[in-house]
Amino acid sequence: MLLKSVEYVRPDSVAQAIEILNSNEGAALLAGGQSLVNILKHRVASVDVLVDIATLEELRFVESRPDGSIEIGACITYDELDHSELIHSSHEMIAWVASHIEDQQIRNRGTIGGNCCLSDPTNNFPPLLVAMDATMNIQSSSGMRQVRAEEFFKGYLMTAIQPGEILKSITVPPVPADVGIGYVSLSVGEDSKAIVRSSAWVKLNGVVQEARVVLARVSPIPVRYQPMEEALRGSSATPEDIARAASVIGSDFEPVADSHGSSEYRREMARVVAKRAVLEAVEKVRGEGGSK
Amino acid sequence: MSAASNGRTATRERVTTWTGQGIPRKEDDRLVQGEGSFIDDMGMQGQGYAWFVRSPHAHARIVSIDVSPALALDGVYAVLTGEEAKSMCQEPFFRIAPGAASHIEEWPLAVGKVRYQGDAVAVVLADTRENARDAAELIEIEYDPLPAVVDGVEAAESSAPILHEEAGTNVAWNGVFNYGDIDWALENADHVVKIDRLHFHRFSSTPIEAAGAVVDWDVGSGVVTIHTNHQMPMFAAMFMGPTLGVPINKFSFSSRDIGGAFGTKIGFYPQLAALALLSKKAGRPVKWTEYRTENLLSSTHGNERTFLDIEVPVMADGTILGFKTRAYDDVGAYLHYEPLGGVIWSQVLPGCYKLKHIKVDYSATLTNKCPVSPNRGYSRMQHLWLIERIVDTVARELGFDPIELRKLNFVQPEDYPYETPNGCVYDSGDLPRSLDMALELVEADYWRARQKELGKGKGKRIGIGVGSTLDSGTNNFGQARIINPELPFSGNGEAAIAKLDLYGEVNVNLGTSPQGQGHETTAAQVAADILNVSPDKVTVSIGFEQANNSYIGFSGTYASQFAVTGLGAVMGAAQKLRDEILEVGAYALGLSKDEVELSDGVCVSKNDPSKSIPFIGIANLVYTNNAVLTPELREKVSLTCRYVYTPPFQVPDTDRKWGNLTLTYASQIHACVVEVDEETGEVKILAYAAVDDCGRRINPAIVEGQVHGAAGLGIAAALYESFDYDEDGQLMQPSFYEYHVGTALDIPHIRTSYIESPSPFTPNGAKGMGEGGGGALHAVCNAIQDTLDKDDAIVYDSHNSWERVYDLLKSGERQAPRGVSVLSRVSGS
Repeated sequence: MLLKSVEYVRPDSVAQAIEILNSNEGAALLAGGQSLVNILKHRVASVDVLVDIATLEELRFVESRPDGSIEIGACITYDELDHSELIHSSHEMIAWVASHIEDQQIRNRGTIGGNCCLSDPTNNFPPLLVAMDATMNIQSSSGMRQVRAEEFFKGYLMTAIQPGEILKSITVPPVPADVGIGYVSLSVGEDSKAIVRSSAWVKLNGVVQEARVVLARVSPIPVRYQPMEEALRGSSATPEDIARAASVIGSDFEPVADSHGSSEYRREMARVVAKRAVLEAVEKVRGEGGSK
Repeated sequence: MSAASNGRTATRERVTTWTGQGIPRKEDDRLVQGEGSFIDDMGMQGQGYAWFVRSPHAHARIVSIDVSPALALDGVYAVLTGEEAKSMCQEPFFRIAPGAASHIEEWPLAVGKVRYQGDAVAVVLADTRENARDAAELIEIEYDPLPAVVDGVEAAESSAPILHEEAGTNVAWNGVFNYGDIDWALENADHVVKIDRLHFHRFSSTPIEAAGAVVDWDVGSGVVTIHTNHQMPMFAAMFMGPTLGVPINKFSFSSRDIGGAFGTKIGFYPQLAALALLSKKAGRPVKWTEYRTENLLSSTHGNERTFLDIEVPVMADGTILGFKTRAYDDVGAYLHYEPLGGVIWSQVLPGCYKLKHIKVDYSATLTNKCPVSPNRGYSRMQHLWLIERIVDTVARELGFDPIELRKLNFVQPEDYPYETPNGCVYDSGDLPRSLDMALELVEADYWRARQKELGKGKGKRIGIGVGSTLDSGTNNFGQARIINPELPFSGNGEAAIAKLDLYGEVNVNLGTSPQGQGHETTAAQVAADILNVSPDKVTVSIGFEQANNSYIGFSGTYASQFAVTGLGAVMGAAQKLRDEILEVGAYALGLSKDEVELSDGVCVSKNDPSKSIPFIGIANLVYTNNAVLTPELREKVSLTCRYVYTPPFQVPDTDRKWGNLTLTYASQIHACVVEVDEETGEVKILAYAAVDDCGRRINPAIVEGQVHGAAGLGIAAALYESFDYDEDGQLMQPSFYEYHVGTALDIPHIRTSYIESPSPFTPNGAKGMGEGGGGALHAVCNAIQDTLDKDDAIVYDSHNSWERVYDLLKSGERQAPRGVSVLSRVSGS
């Protein structure tokens, strides 16, 4: 077959999905299928049971919390994020990133939970969620647990999700007026995978109060680059300050080399995209109305 | 003709001529509504599905193949291996090359050795496509890997691993093209510009529809039926017939709509032959639909060419005397159309310029990579890119304005017909005016000012580049004799049939297999003018059917020639039909032939419009009422008129490599403004224009579409698309994840304009066009060059990824070799 023969189940609840996962080691969760089905098609992974959670209502919501944070169900699609007034009004960057993933057909199917749980280094949401300090809400038969996004991504195609667990939702903290978020990718062509990418979260009050700078595609998982964050803290965030801070990004990475860029090029570009992401974040705070 | 007629607004009201109108395409109703009929829409009763087993190695000996696990799977009908396929064949495929390479044996599947990653080793037939694929995975093949050679220059060295032992060399063909006196020119020029190396990269067109076929070898009748999207089916038949032992008239080729080909659907006759044998073995029809990765890995790549030791003599006033170089064409693992590329570039030997002294030592070399065969701009694009790089580099190194230098060296409007040093005749054109138009369209003056304002070091730089190019069309196949004097080929041509059907319907069919070029529309336009009916009343048969359509050995859709050969044939056939209709009509009306004319489907008296007979009446007389005709008329008239158009060619002089190799020379001037990001090397196109001169345009909207397509292909190749192999011969871009195809999101708005310099050599003043001569590659590379500093290296590759541009931007400060030097004999250059 195009896909090797697999069993397919569509549980009625998250609890039931967890039961199936617990009773079958070869079970895998299927949400939008935009990555998993390709992996199966290329026969690089084999799965016995596909557990389709794409339509579970428990995983399909976007809600704001009294503190201004939002909680996004894992099976909300990119297109739904892009068309959510709530997201646009409180967390614009999430909608923007969603709207720039591949093409419309993929955005109709792909989900934010799937984007994170695959932990492919080229995926769009992991660096943003680390920069925004999101919390991943994970459900298992023994209840819920929370993991910070920064701790969630463990390696290439590996996350903190343990056997029998499901990512239920993602909580993203509020974005107050003194915070800006930047997200910059270098890619070949308009809709291709990023060569290197950075997302920055900057809290600015005349000077930088706090900054999170995340680099993606220089290592298997998105990483915060603390020396640059420290170099930014307390600075006036002029373009020169930011460039100086970015210059501390050193050669402590061994990025992948592929047809779109050598390891060395990616390392140099990490500096450029990190600088630009911070610049974008700062401009958002200093520009009209600040960022969401 | 005014530019206003370029629009698609023309209605089907009465006009002077249909030729020249941008009428909507006849094909589009079905295509835009999803009602086209493509290869995967075809099928036959009882068919199985084929899946090729392809080599994971670039070069290896096949030690053993065990197909039994595959055969044990339910639903598997048959497996065919290379050895078995060979045993079913009469002889290897026809060989074009002379000398050592004439000993190369290619069979439908690999025998004994695999020579590139993707080489087909076996083919499986099963009840479903998926099952065939599953079975293919079960076949156990033991390989003994061999060292691979992946560089076209290294392949020619004696130390390189040999792909085909029977040839004893990887050099498939070598020829020295030497015209004028380049040694004299280099000794006497005021300056000699030397460029160490230029590299034209490997890429391909990526048709939306990959290759495919439904093949049935009917043992009872001996007929091999092949529905396929091959773009030159009778060429495939000529290659396959002797190998399979099938006479041409026992093939039954057909095609319907084809989802793009661009030349890349000429080279897959080995696959078709393997499928035919598989059908014969299994005793049932075989359906094969090529997968995308299979297409990228093993269908067809474009020619990759390396130019070494380029020397260019230039006079103090900027006159470029010529150039010399050694060229290595990396043609991949097998010779599917090659080494014809070894002469085809010489159709445009001096490019757009009056270069007199040219010497090219050309070699085609075999490497452990996907075989090449024609790809839009085939072989000329590579050479024209070289010349455009030479002209821009000369301008840069010697301080000339690249625009003025071009104008100085261009073939001038008064020079036509212009004979090139190798005897080709450029038919017509106005290159300086085309260039001015392109610069104006792209607003070059504005961007030049912006460029100065912006300067360098501020993050973004602006560059302006032009590409002057030729689209030579209607090959003289006699040029194949320059490759191999024994080849019995010369001339060119195409066939068409115009017919009045039983109830007076006008029908035209073609020898061509169009893939989006709008042949149904343009054929209807020219036939409509001759028969004096609306194009709506002319049905042009869709696609190609060997049994019904007329053809000659050159038939097909390739090499920018339909407007000349295809429409030449349609015009000839329509004129014959017109004559017959007039003859029958005159007889029916009791008038002489010169007293009647055709008007809107009626044959009518010129003097008395009340006397007329409609086409249905004419058809009635000939087909179902012929006792009323005279015996002479019955003998003379069939209302089914075949015509073969042949261009006026002669056999070239193979010793001197001299002769007229193509009938027409359309020109295109591209102008491009880029913005380069100094920090990343990213290139963004800010403005783009192309001016086309393809003589008389039959349908301006179709011409414009072709200009857009060719520009898009070149832009994407220059910036996004490249096939690279690692040192083990593994393709690094086997899917669209890695091979980023330029899409509508990437290709900028393209401003177009045109000149019409009618060809004096063609029946309708038109010139073939559509391939575009790689104009965009030249323009984009030259624009990138324009962003670089004097100390930086030159743009040395036709593909410029962000990293490569970044490295060029840094090359000056890194003191990297510039790749160019100048020897001057005059002071004050």
